[in-house]
Amino acid sequence: MAEEAAVDEDIQDLRERFLNREFEEATFEIDGSRFAEYAKVCGETAPKFTDPSHPDFQAPPTFVSTLVGGRNTPPDFPRLGGMGMDAGKGVEWKAPVRDGVTLTGRSHLHDIYTKTGRSGRMVFLVTRMELYDQDGTHIANADTRTVIRERPRG
Amino acid sequence: MANSTVKTIADVEFGGELPSFVPDTSIEATRRFGKYVGWGTPRFTDHEGARKEGLPGAIVPGVMSQGFLGAMIHRWAPNAEIVAIDTVFRAPVQVDHPHTITGVVTDIDEDEGTVEIDITITNEAGETRVFGTATAKLPT
Repeated sequence: MAEEAAVDEDIQDLRERFLNREFEEATFEIDGSRFAEYAKVCGETAPKFTDPSHPDFQAPPTFVSTLVGGRNTPPDFPRLGGMGMDAGKGVEWKAPVRDGVTLTGRSHLHDIYTKTGRSGRMVFLVTRMELYDQDGTHIANADTRTVIRERPRG
Repeated sequence: MANSTVKTIADVEFGGELPSFVPDTSIEATRRFGKYVGWGTPRFTDHEGARKEGLPGAIVPGVMSQGFLGAMIHRWAPNAEIVAIDTVFRAPVQVDHPHTITGVVTDIDEDEGTVEIDITITNEAGETRVFGTATAKLPT
């Protein structure tokens, strides 16, 4: 499977119309008991992730991937011909997520690109949710990568 | 194999392997995840329900697999701060099937105090199901 050397015209059009345009804002009340359970079931053993009485109690960095908004694309984003599947998650961690904070997540399309293989073209959409605390501090970026395997034409 | 109790970046070897980690992929674990965190739908918590969706059985949520990768790094280096992690879901991680997570140090930046790690979840057939890369900051 080889990555496209040049951006296809239709993808370039989508990039120009939709990249970096905020389309959703969501709020999340962070419950320490929830992220402690997340930590334990994922195999974390450090008390700062599992024990609410720990003085540095905080969520594991990957926990922000569990904070999801209502949609992955802008309301006016066109339907692409194929089924979307979750292809991956990314996190950029900037500061700890603490019990009891309220986070605001602002979502935009961060990247649109394609890969082409023997079975045809796949379109990848990277939705980035930027998370901020009540003071406006940027806490993390949580990326969701969706792949759409296009149906053969004709 | 790299030191299993890494405290500072000086303890890290380029090319060193992290101690392998066997995550809990049992149906009890995904049900607990579903109850407390989310992703409690049948495809993750019930083999028969997953089969009705055309899957071979229940699968582990991707966000839970990503959590396994983070846990592995913290078990190796309890003082590590994961500043970035990117996870590629190549194929489903099947519930109640044994999986193993392996990791290798691919870069060390002593000036920044960071290391890069490639991490892979494989099934019992040795097939890669999830692949990740992480950047972790360690005390210098």
